[in-house]
Amino acid sequence: MERLARPYPRPDRDSAPFWEAQRGHVLKFQRCSDCGEFRFPITPICPACRSFAFHWTASSGRGTVYSYSVVHHQTHPAFSVPYTIVLVELEDGPRFIAQFRAADGKPVRIEMPVNLEWEDYPDQALPVFVPEV
Amino acid sequence: MTIRNKTAIVGIGQTEFSKDSGRSTLHMALEAILEALEDAGLKPADIDGVVKMAANDDVFEIDLLRSLGLRNLRFFAEIPHGGGAACGTIACAAAAITSGMADVVVTFRSLNERSERRFGLSSMGGGLGGWMQYYLPHGLVTPAQWVAIFAQRYLYEYGYSTEEFGRVAVLCRKHAATNPHAMMYGRPITLDEHQASRWISEPLRLLDCTLDTDGACAAIVVSAAKAKTLKTAPVYITGAAQGTGSRTEMMTSYQRPSLVRLEEAEAVAGELYRSAEMTPADVRMVQIYDHFTPLVLMALEAYGFAKPGKAPELLREGKLELDGAMPMNTHGGHLGEGYLHGFGHIVEAVRQLRGTAVNQVARVDNCLVTSGTGVPTSGLILSKDAY
Repeated sequence: MERLARPYPRPDRDSAPFWEAQRGHVLKFQRCSDCGEFRFPITPICPACRSFAFHWTASSGRGTVYSYSVVHHQTHPAFSVPYTIVLVELEDGPRFIAQFRAADGKPVRIEMPVNLEWEDYPDQALPVFVPEV
Repeated sequence: MTIRNKTAIVGIGQTEFSKDSGRSTLHMALEAILEALEDAGLKPADIDGVVKMAANDDVFEIDLLRSLGLRNLRFFAEIPHGGGAACGTIACAAAAITSGMADVVVTFRSLNERSERRFGLSSMGGGLGGWMQYYLPHGLVTPAQWVAIFAQRYLYEYGYSTEEFGRVAVLCRKHAATNPHAMMYGRPITLDEHQASRWISEPLRLLDCTLDTDGACAAIVVSAAKAKTLKTAPVYITGAAQGTGSRTEMMTSYQRPSLVRLEEAEAVAGELYRSAEMTPADVRMVQIYDHFTPLVLMALEAYGFAKPGKAPELLREGKLELDGAMPMNTHGGHLGEGYLHGFGHIVEAVRQLRGTAVNQVARVDNCLVTSGTGVPTSGLILSKDAY
């Protein structure tokens, strides 16, 4: 896929480590070192306790589907319809948006257990969720 | 201290709504503003304040000021957060006037959203920073898709089918059908037609989504004392508020405890009823921001007109019809009249309270108006009398 075909992220000083880790197939999140709160989307300060201190924690990528949408109306040339977007409640992280893939065409549903897989694009890898087997 | 009934809307203006205006947004903004001034019996030289919405807008204040020949502006501001800003422009005008920083404030919205820049289409090609970097690479690229995530959750948590969304669209199109100004004039829809319309992003169908519109609206705000000296019956600003919620993002606040509650609308509601010294039971009419039908249901709940998950009953029981207990979107809303990012709702509320609306409702003495949901938002309670 052409680099310009997909809207690729432009990391900022706060989010650069998040995207760098994904290029190595690691999904990691900021966690507050003082109160344990996850910070997502990425931010320099904890919204719960206002601590600047945090560490990155890798997520297993396991979770359950919290909500989803099957997109039918194409609005961007990089994304062929239909495709499915899921909002997943990670067992060890925040809620996270990614695409859903099911090799057997299994339809998505809320509360479905899912795991993470990786897809490589030029300059960036992105996670997708698949049904847990 | 409140701003209750200290200011009033004394002039409104509006261009035609169309798919192709054939002229610039500046041109339309000027037309709407001059019409609003004429309506109020004021002249351009009387304007000393301008408040505009900030999002995807190509009318620059500097061009407006130059074009209108304004020299004595004392107050100017822009309200952020897209469609959440519409009522906020009136709230800001009221704040400026009650604090003595301005006497005559113009607010407006002008868009060529259909012919020039369609917000509903993703147009993002290059690198994306800010909040968008977390969603767009995955193909979550349009407002309809962002909202679909909330809408799916609403159906799941309350066990509804998409027919409940459809009833909102049917109501708005019904009111638009008898409004000659509406893009969907003479074109009502049935629930079956809603259900047969194509998917955009499940569970949203084409008929759940706002129109894209070219057009402009304007409103003039002055003090209640000054309003009494002008030729047109004032519509009093009884309540005006802005509000936010937790973990706020632009239409993607997915980290909140609940995705079926509109925290910012609840905050606006609390402040509106407090400042207006009213309760939801006192509200006679509502103009609810309808970019997507599911958020109309959630807004009706947030503003206290139904318990959580019960807004569909208001539609099933006919309470929001023109002859119902609390008519809604009497002009047809964004879904039927046109999408002026909430400004058409303000103009319609003023017409209804003056008694000059096309779909005029009898004995209406107040109207609650809301702005965009899923973003930091705003609302108004407008009244016919400064009781």
